[in-house]
Amino acid sequence: MQWLTVFNRESLEAWRNFKWIWVPLVFILLGLMDPLTTYYMPQILDAVGGLPEGAIIDIPSPPAVDVLMMSIGQFNMLGVAIIVLISMGTIAGERKSGVAELILVKPIRYSTYVTAKWMNYSLICVTAVSAGMLSSWYYVSLLFEEIPFGHVLTAAAFYSLWIIFIVTVNIMMNTLVKVPGVVAFLTIAFLIALQIIGQIFQYAANWIPSLITSYIGEVLTTGNIPEELWWTSLVTVGLIITLLVIASYTLKNKEVV
Amino acid sequence: MIQTNELTKTFGRDTVVNAVSFELKPETCVALLGPNGAGKTTTLRMMAGLIHPTSGSIHLAGRTHKDIRQLIGYLPQHPQFHTWMTGKEFLVYVGRLANLTKSTANDRADQLLVRVGLGEAGSKRIGKYSGGMKQRLGIAQAMIHQPKLLMLDEPVSALDPIGRRDVLNLMEELKQETTLLFSTHILNDAEEASDHLLLMNDGHIIESGSFEEVRRRHAINKIVVRFDESDSQSYLESLRSLTCVNRLETKKEEVHVYVDDLAGARQAIIDIAAKHHWPLVHFEVGKMSLEELFMKVVDQHAVADRI
Repeated sequence: MQWLTVFNRESLEAWRNFKWIWVPLVFILLGLMDPLTTYYMPQILDAVGGLPEGAIIDIPSPPAVDVLMMSIGQFNMLGVAIIVLISMGTIAGERKSGVAELILVKPIRYSTYVTAKWMNYSLICVTAVSAGMLSSWYYVSLLFEEIPFGHVLTAAAFYSLWIIFIVTVNIMMNTLVKVPGVVAFLTIAFLIALQIIGQIFQYAANWIPSLITSYIGEVLTTGNIPEELWWTSLVTVGLIITLLVIASYTLKNKEVV
Repeated sequence: MIQTNELTKTFGRDTVVNAVSFELKPETCVALLGPNGAGKTTTLRMMAGLIHPTSGSIHLAGRTHKDIRQLIGYLPQHPQFHTWMTGKEFLVYVGRLANLTKSTANDRADQLLVRVGLGEAGSKRIGKYSGGMKQRLGIAQAMIHQPKLLMLDEPVSALDPIGRRDVLNLMEELKQETTLLFSTHILNDAEEASDHLLLMNDGHIIESGSFEEVRRRHAINKIVVRFDESDSQSYLESLRSLTCVNRLETKKEEVHVYVDDLAGARQAIIDIAAKHHWPLVHFEVGKMSLEELFMKVVDQHAVADRI
């Protein structure tokens, strides 16, 4: 089956250049950074010094959920940058180097080519983000207080949707332009714009995909899934499908070289 | 087997390929010959479906598959591979993309690797291949699904003499089993590997046919004369009466005299012209070879009225 052929080749590539190892590792590190630095902040300040003799450092310990949300904030910044960087050349790079000239003269469906790549990167990124959330949760539970694992699992599931959305935007940009750097720029610009729009119009348009991040705070605290999150997720899934269709269509009608 | 109709491609204001029409017969080997920038690569890319013609169409006879790409093998001018894959892995991969089953793709890959002389290197990463090896792997990947039409874009131009010899020998074998269309800017390569040619310049096909035909058409002994008067009827009569003259053709004011023995005919015509005081303004002894023809094209001289 063609789809599996492309997908297997993509996975093989991700194994051979160690993406399957270092991307999850980076997210695990990102995940444990905030719980550790927050917990040890008084000691760190003490060790660095500079405070007058006898100063009492009294930083109230933040709620556990806030610390986990800090980690998610890291994923949204550095994590997104990494996701964009690893996938910015997946189609654009092949077209630029000329490999696509060999691949796309074979009787392969353009949607196969697009979705197999999309699935590969979605899997890597969701795995990495889940690993990062687990590591953050582990340290938060160890150093602050226990967050029920079920809540974290639900939150991770919804957050993955946002991650897949990012991958999809990137794949779509990959079919629009041939230069990987421009793909990265367009994707990040698009996501920033979406986040700004989401913040400004949160009360008017509470279904914008970037709002998933703000909704999962409630999931983590109470374990309840707010109704807005369901709607946002539905919209996100719809947008992902639409973007994939646009990507396949663009690639089909675009000249490969 | 494949036919193009008025194929045209414009990039912005430049017309790179201009109303190109030709037909390839099954099981022939055709060279698409022309100087750099003639539009050869663009033509091949359009036929491979990589770029879309601005106008015109391509017809493939006996097209049973929905996807024309199933019947076409294509080697780009500078083939690029996933360098982290081995030669064998890449061949199996493209074989599977061309709808071969796993075991068929495997068998075909093994056969082709041996055939293009990469039997040993098949398990090495493509990143370690030399230019010649990549070119041969490129031919193998184009052949993997036994296409009806194999198109090679400058398959030997970038190779050293040994690599060039290898690839030419390989093409000699391949033309037994498929229709082969390849582009080149080197006349010798075209002549050696193929029996038909399409000569392309500036986006136009300016000459086509078998090498023999084209050669015969251009390597003809002829003398071109022009007179100072519009009424040259009487001179034509005299020319026709000469025994060395095969036939006469008048094109505008020029008279083309076709002869066998060039030296003898020249003397005879000069003699008769001197004797009768012909008002000659132009006298040219011509013999155009394929080389000359091609050089003229390459030098961007006006060839249109000579052929």
